[in-house]
Amino acid sequence: MSVQPTALVFGHIELRLAERQLLVHGEPVALGSRGFDLLKALVGKRDRVVGKDELLDEVWPGLVVEENNLQVQISGLRRVLGARAISTVAGLGYRFTLAPGTVEPPRLPGVPPQPAAAQAKARVLVADDNRVNRLLLCRSLELMGHQVSSADNGRQALELLRRQPFELLLLDLAMPELDGFGLLQVRADDAELREVAVIVTSALGGVAPVARCIELGADDFLHKPVDPWLLKARVESSLARKQHRDLQSEALRRLTPGGPAEPSRLADACVLVARLHEPQRSQQTPTDLMELLNSWGTLMFDAIEGRAGEVAQFNGDGLLALFAEPRAAAQAGRDMLELVELFNGQRHAEGQAAIALGIGIARGELIAGSAATARRAAYACVGAPVLSAEQLALACARGGHGLLMDALTRSGLPADMGAAVVNLSPEWVAYRSIQGRA
Amino acid sequence: MSPSPIDTHSFEALQANAGADFVVTLVAAFAEEAPRLMVELRRAAAAADAERFETLAHTLKSNGVAFGATRLAEAARRLEWQGPSAGVAAIADLAAELDTALAALQTLARRE
Repeated sequence: MSVQPTALVFGHIELRLAERQLLVHGEPVALGSRGFDLLKALVGKRDRVVGKDELLDEVWPGLVVEENNLQVQISGLRRVLGARAISTVAGLGYRFTLAPGTVEPPRLPGVPPQPAAAQAKARVLVADDNRVNRLLLCRSLELMGHQVSSADNGRQALELLRRQPFELLLLDLAMPELDGFGLLQVRADDAELREVAVIVTSALGGVAPVARCIELGADDFLHKPVDPWLLKARVESSLARKQHRDLQSEALRRLTPGGPAEPSRLADACVLVARLHEPQRSQQTPTDLMELLNSWGTLMFDAIEGRAGEVAQFNGDGLLALFAEPRAAAQAGRDMLELVELFNGQRHAEGQAAIALGIGIARGELIAGSAATARRAAYACVGAPVLSAEQLALACARGGHGLLMDALTRSGLPADMGAAVVNLSPEWVAYRSIQGRA
Repeated sequence: MSPSPIDTHSFEALQANAGADFVVTLVAAFAEEAPRLMVELRRAAAAADAERFETLAHTLKSNGVAFGATRLAEAARRLEWQGPSAGVAAIADLAAELDTALAALQTLARRE
């Protein structure tokens, strides 16, 4: 006789079906009834993309519900599970992406939940000519759960770096054949090697070697003897920064077919700039503000990706997205305003202040590509529509919550999207998706 | 009376953090590596190569600190500070501390 599992485990989350309870990293998480039903539906159909209508029918059976309610629930789940747990497939729906674990056996009374699986392993290379230091560093990293290789001189380290993928290099400076400075210099001139994070571990005293290493692009510096706790903190910090850079690079790769290193001229693109108006005014603490920005960002990314747009830049309380045509940009802008309205309703119910969003959309030719120094890279979008969209988003601050677009964008919209357009100037028009809102 | 060559608290902390079996391997590696470092240190002193001399002295110091070999670490620190002009006697003192520390470390590591 087959027995239906009562608990499903996916990496760091556990879904207890009988108790209608979600555990993240072993801790129960408060999830509303709709949120739980939505997660259950996505998990149950995780072998495919689930359409929005199908999810609406399943989570709100017999009710006519606006699609944006679904987006708010999806965003709520992403905040709890992690942004990558649910992917948006533009125009089709959503898909649950976490790999399944095993069904957890019944827990004995009084036995505490086990901690979630350890952080993913990183591939780390230790380059040090001193055997004791090398062994000790390797051991410390292995005990942290990483996959460790070692080299006893700079030349050997360079060969390994070119032959195998590594996330992190722990680099001694004084080494035979090729010293640490030499290896950093080679890395500075090599785009692929620059992808590997570097922590220098050296016995050299003084500030000068530290400064030189930082100038050559090292992420961090540890003086020997290396304290194991400090090593752990610095390694985790460097890997987290690298992961963040990798995510940005991946987004850029998706955005530019030729890859982030190749600049491209977009002859007719729509630039959407969204900016929160002074969000700090409505928050009591820095933590509250960061939570607000996380929630806001998740909703905005959903709205943009749901209309086949790409977020090219994101800086916390503002973002810049690119669209291939005006209709998609205008629809995304409307969705963003409506999502913020729903979000504000939720905040109002929790006794929190509303936030105000300004959106500018402009159309024209722009150049997009990677602008990089040895230490930092960013995706740059340069051109008249970028400046116009930024000005339009800022101009919304004068009129409050809303969306402004330039006349060229407006001219590309179908007639049925022009019902609520207000002329502000010969060049700018305002689009109000929600009647009666100033 | 001179203090014990090894700070047992530091050594036990190393065993706790890295594993007692691993520390046996680490001590054996140090026993192989350290004489080579001493030869290079004497060579750097003879050549008046201050940078190399200070780096080697610092390496011996950091290895000493890692094992809790406090007297060895202190002797190496003095040489690092003085540079190649420290003199033959100071280098001989370091070599003696190294021998004492290695003997003590091998005894402590085998005790587990």
